[in-house]
Amino acid sequence: MTDKTAILIVDDDPHAVEIVRTYLESRGYAVATASDGREALAKLEEFHPAIVLLDVMMPGMDGWEVARVIKNHPEYGTARVVMLTARGDFEDKHESLRAGADDYLVKPIELEELGRRVERNIKARETNA
Amino acid sequence: MRIVALVRDTDLRAAVQSAAATIGAELCEDATDGNARLLSELRPGDVVLLEQRGGADEDAVTEPGAGGDLSAMRARVRGAGAALVLARAGGPADPEQLVLADEWVLLPTGAEELAARLVSARRRTAQHHVPDDAAELVRYEELLYDKLTGFPTLPVMIERARELLERRGELTVLYIHFVWYEKIEEIYGWQKLDDVLETTASALREFYAREHAAAENIMMVSHVADDDFILFTQIPTSPELAEKRLRGIANRLETFLRSHVEDSHGEDIASLCGIYVGAATIFRNPKIRTERLLYRGIREAAQAARGAEEWERTRKVTDLKSTIRDGAVFIEYHPIIVTATEEIYGFEALARGVRRELRSPEVLFEVAEEANLVWELSRLLRRRAVQGIINDLGADQYLFLNIDPHDFDDPSFRSLNPDELGIEDPSRIVLEITERTAIKDYPRFQEYLAAFRKLGFRFAVDDAGSGYAGLGSIANLAPDYIKLDISLISNIDTNFLKQNLVETMVSFAEGQGAQVIAEGVERREEFEAIREIGVHYTQGFLFHRPRYSGLPERKSITRIANSKRPE
Repeated sequence: MTDKTAILIVDDDPHAVEIVRTYLESRGYAVATASDGREALAKLEEFHPAIVLLDVMMPGMDGWEVARVIKNHPEYGTARVVMLTARGDFEDKHESLRAGADDYLVKPIELEELGRRVERNIKARETNA
Repeated sequence: MRIVALVRDTDLRAAVQSAAATIGAELCEDATDGNARLLSELRPGDVVLLEQRGGADEDAVTEPGAGGDLSAMRARVRGAGAALVLARAGGPADPEQLVLADEWVLLPTGAEELAARLVSARRRTAQHHVPDDAAELVRYEELLYDKLTGFPTLPVMIERARELLERRGELTVLYIHFVWYEKIEEIYGWQKLDDVLETTASALREFYAREHAAAENIMMVSHVADDDFILFTQIPTSPELAEKRLRGIANRLETFLRSHVEDSHGEDIASLCGIYVGAATIFRNPKIRTERLLYRGIREAAQAARGAEEWERTRKVTDLKSTIRDGAVFIEYHPIIVTATEEIYGFEALARGVRRELRSPEVLFEVAEEANLVWELSRLLRRRAVQGIINDLGADQYLFLNIDPHDFDDPSFRSLNPDELGIEDPSRIVLEITERTAIKDYPRFQEYLAAFRKLGFRFAVDDAGSGYAGLGSIANLAPDYIKLDISLISNIDTNFLKQNLVETMVSFAEGQGAQVIAEGVERREEFEAIREIGVHYTQGFLFHRPRYSGLPERKSITRIANSKRPE
């Protein structure tokens, strides 16, 4: 394990994943990616991310289900979960909250905003620890 | 018969050594230079005992963890004409994996049980009893194991129950009957109920592991149909001792589970769970089929457990009646603080029963509903809540009263005349309507509200954001106050989603001409976060932890802005 903060991106859109990965790596984070819920849960075990960026709309398990599994996990439950949602209305955010998410971003993602969200979640995670 | 033990756990090694000696089997064990050698020398008729730890425990002997590796293991064992026994520890049993074994045993286990499993596996393999269509078996087995606890169901264990019965000629059945008041889900949400169930399941597993370590002849199965459990055990033959031991187990179980639920979820939630244990003893009778005896015993024990529940319910109704007759309730007044100035804005009256088992207001109302006494109870609580404070209420302070929408069906409430309550100025009273209770007839309900408004009463929507109603239905009630549910407030300082949702609620409320009250503020950081967002009023243990009946003095209410920050 390096000292870099580890971030896991989960999204079934490979194009979006690449953009976010490149940006986050350029900011000095260690990044892993997964294209669906199952892969995400496997990556969680080997990668121990501090932050999981989680797309809501995915085939198979949706992002909310994945968030529930992560947040209820005895070991990885401390990871901060940031939902990436397309709608961003009250119900959508409320559902994310019920799934246990800590933050959200409305798609399409603005990279600078993403950078700020990632930073504030790292800070919040340190405060909690 | 030869046992090939792929085992690392020292207790299990001791058990298998003793089991091998009991059944006169040769034992091969070698956990040091890997399993490859042992497995390559398998002979037909061997029984392979494989230790497997659930979850993320990397210390497993076999390193398989995944079903794929276990299938490979099974193919290899079966290919050699041998049988496979899984010894499983930690975490619920995964049917997909268990089905790959000829027999299995949950750890910790004793020598006797282990011996029985090993022999049974050997016998099964000899009979080619296990079909090879694993997929079909998996579907079948899913029905046979309780998802939540991992305990097997009775059909799976009937053989073992029979063995237990035949060994001693008698067997005692303890039927463990769980009751969760529906209110848990209604009030705290399904996630809370899931949490409580998970706590119960893990407590039950822990309890069973302990009892099992103390006595070998004990077996727990799940009674899936009713979310109940059955514990088979053997007790001393002397009636007095038997009675004592039975009562001992039942009490231990109840105390153990209750204290776990109470520790993890608090007294209020624990009081919404009921655990009832019924017992029956089965004696072997060569003229009657053993299965029939077993099921008969289970039925008897279940009836006894339900009887205990019934008795408890009846007792609670009687208790409630005397509670209402004697007015045995007390009112806690929780201050509501103006966020910006930290002045007291008003008090919310919360009723509690004097009797311990009727302490929680949820239980009070649940029992009242059963006994058809909701209106009587409500009237008593309202009267008490008003009487207890009206003379002490500051000129600019408000009294918040909880109202159940059903109360509007009570003619004496509807014709509510402020004098009857001892209220001179209804505009000092805020009626709180919870978002959680479904309002069926909206138009009529709004008519009632309008009538009360005319008299000067104000309204608050309680528990907003607990997920039962959207912003739309809040807007329909046009409340003067919106009380945010604790689920939106706890840890709001580090949860940005909650901050965003509360911001939305505040601007929504202001658009409606309403004000927002944050409930459940327990930490300074939470208070600072909601102050920054601009939530108008605050309520929570940070300011005042209710300890006794009566009005809290101003000096007992913590001031935040002026007090020094701790390091």
